[in-house]
Amino acid sequence: MAFVEQHIHDEPKTFWSKYIVSYDHKVIGKQFLWFGIFFLLVGGLMALMIRWALAFPGEPFPIIGGLMFPHTGGVIPPDTYAMLFTMHGTIMIFYAITPILIGAFGNFCIPLLIGARDMIFPTLNMLSFWFQMASGIILLVSLCLPLGAAAGGWTSYPTLSTTLGQQGLGQTLWTISLFLLGVSSTMGAVNYITTIITLRAPGMGYFKMPLTVWGLWLTSILNAIFIPVLGAGLLLLTCDRIFGTTFFLAGAAATSGKGDPILFQHVFWIFGHPEVYILILPAWGIVSDLLSFFARKPAFGYKMTALSLSAITILSTLVYGHHMYTTQMSPLLTQSFMTLTMLISIPSAIFFANWLGTLWKGSIRFTSPMLFAMGVVFVFGLGGLTGLYLASASVDLYLHDTYFVVGHFHYTMAASVLLGGFAGIYFWMPKMFGRLMNECLAKWHFWLTIIPLNGIFMGMMIMGYAGMHRRLYNPFIYEFMNKLIPINTFVTWCAIAMGLAQGLFIYNFIKTIFFSKKQPLASNNPWEVGTLEWQIPSPAPHYNYKEIPVVKCGPHEFGNPNLTTGRDFQYQTEELVD
Amino acid sequence: MVQSAVAMTVVLCSFAMLFATMFLGYFLLRSNADVWPPVEIEGMPQGIPLVSTVFILLSSVTYYFFEHKAQAKKLLFSLTIVFGALFLLSQWLLWGSLADAGIFVSDGMVPSMVYDFTWLHAAHIGLALILLFWLGFFVFFKTEKLTKLKVINVGKFWHFLGVVWLLMYLLIFVL
Repeated sequence: MAFVEQHIHDEPKTFWSKYIVSYDHKVIGKQFLWFGIFFLLVGGLMALMIRWALAFPGEPFPIIGGLMFPHTGGVIPPDTYAMLFTMHGTIMIFYAITPILIGAFGNFCIPLLIGARDMIFPTLNMLSFWFQMASGIILLVSLCLPLGAAAGGWTSYPTLSTTLGQQGLGQTLWTISLFLLGVSSTMGAVNYITTIITLRAPGMGYFKMPLTVWGLWLTSILNAIFIPVLGAGLLLLTCDRIFGTTFFLAGAAATSGKGDPILFQHVFWIFGHPEVYILILPAWGIVSDLLSFFARKPAFGYKMTALSLSAITILSTLVYGHHMYTTQMSPLLTQSFMTLTMLISIPSAIFFANWLGTLWKGSIRFTSPMLFAMGVVFVFGLGGLTGLYLASASVDLYLHDTYFVVGHFHYTMAASVLLGGFAGIYFWMPKMFGRLMNECLAKWHFWLTIIPLNGIFMGMMIMGYAGMHRRLYNPFIYEFMNKLIPINTFVTWCAIAMGLAQGLFIYNFIKTIFFSKKQPLASNNPWEVGTLEWQIPSPAPHYNYKEIPVVKCGPHEFGNPNLTTGRDFQYQTEELVD
Repeated sequence: MVQSAVAMTVVLCSFAMLFATMFLGYFLLRSNADVWPPVEIEGMPQGIPLVSTVFILLSSVTYYFFEHKAQAKKLLFSLTIVFGALFLLSQWLLWGSLADAGIFVSDGMVPSMVYDFTWLHAAHIGLALILLFWLGFFVFFKTEKLTKLKVINVGKFWHFLGVVWLLMYLLIFVL
């Protein structure tokens, strides 16, 4: 593709043009970051409320319980419980991970890492953020409605999610806000795909891009193709709710033609499975890069990692049925999905092995981004392996809708993606805001997060294996579950510990950005790595690159014994030393 | 500015998936129904959808010639917009005649399908008409900035919607 150099705009001057209606991808990335962190906290609070209701039923929720549920004296009522797990899932997936990993890192990192001055369509970029903002506002509004927010699970299966199951406006607003979010994501995806294809600096072939860019590119391709599938499903659900259509209502009237609730499941999971890969691909890319950077070694098997990620992207489109093993699909279809799902573990294992190969005999610098990256290796190993249990249809018949599934997807999403997100924030903080975050607080944050995290989700997997079902207000109504009450309480205590530990991160984050004016700005390259963005000042100037760099070597050129510059790495703009 | 061609291709992939999902739903619901249509719908307009098809196909034809012929460009372009607007008008009449026959969106599977599909398609035609008007600005006023690429990109979108309508017409109204 012919490369086009973007010209340097004037620097915006007013507060309005600098921070609110900015076209600058870095500002838009930061807007997504604030948005995502806010919703992360809201979703996290909801998680704590869920855990509280499970471990201490009948006890009023501390501090804010009395304010939120005056008619029960602060105790979380059952219908609110349904709302909580629905909104927790929705918020964490669409309003925390998507904005932070894809909105913030995608926007901020892609142009910088490929040597461009901005995204290819800055206006579309800005619109993408404001659509997401509108979507978030509608969702928050739905929390304040008299009949409450959506309570049909984040998967909102009909018939529960139709007007038969959820009478209020909450579920309708949920579908509308998700539709808007889909529009926002698709706009972003178009932007990212086109930018990466057409704006890479001269010399940067696809296999010289940092793996972060690979992850974000593959995510965007999946986004562009599969978000509209969710959009169509939501559209049909909205029509069922508002206009009285019967797409998902089975045999609504004997003479009017039958709808099919399972149709929604198919449509939802055709989107839903790629969606979970959409969420994790950026984190995989970031971790792949960070492991190399902080082990001071080239990324082991870089090309295979990139190709494995691509293979996973393609295969992820073919496996959606493993979410539907219990819907009495034909056994042939079930077996096909099972085979394909197991197949997807092969490229995952390849790039996981490459991670280990990168670490092996590396000269590891245990900085906070590296700690989090290594944390991802550990939790993704666990989470990915448990996916194999669930891939097997016969085992899944037992484990479906138990806490084993909850543990599995939290290990892969909450643990891997979240830790990857933290790694990225700690890593790119100097380039985003000008200063490094406090390392001591960061390390405390890491340990106080990862230990309870394992407690929570390993505990959940054990409980799930024992048969504890999810989405139940009182799982202990079943006698056989009573033996698990101690584990349940343990999980909740771990959750409280992990929740409180995030305070360290918030304090560190706010302090570094707003209350560090006395500290000097970070140097251009405090982490001593060779990708393009570390050759420009911290924070990055509004035009990114005064002169578009010409790329001569890959992003992971570490430890070459023939280097004479005194550094142990090469910048991407330097000729490769033999 | 090949970037715009890449972007338009990605956008069309997205929209194709949107309509593909609708077609998937239609296919599944129809193939699982014992009999189709589930209840005989009296008054389902047959002529108007045919007229819509004719209009949209004509508009694609005039756009094609606008792209490739050297003469009568402004006329062909204007005819494209006219046929596009006539298409939307015929959709409006379709909805009107459905309502006159007492067929509303909540009246069962077939009306649900008809309304949903045509609403979604019409919304995209609306977007495409806005794009055509934007292009028209360059056709009529700033002719020196009318690049081949702009014409091709808008053309892709317009022809795409024509193909979608053709599929819709054949699968929902005819078969």
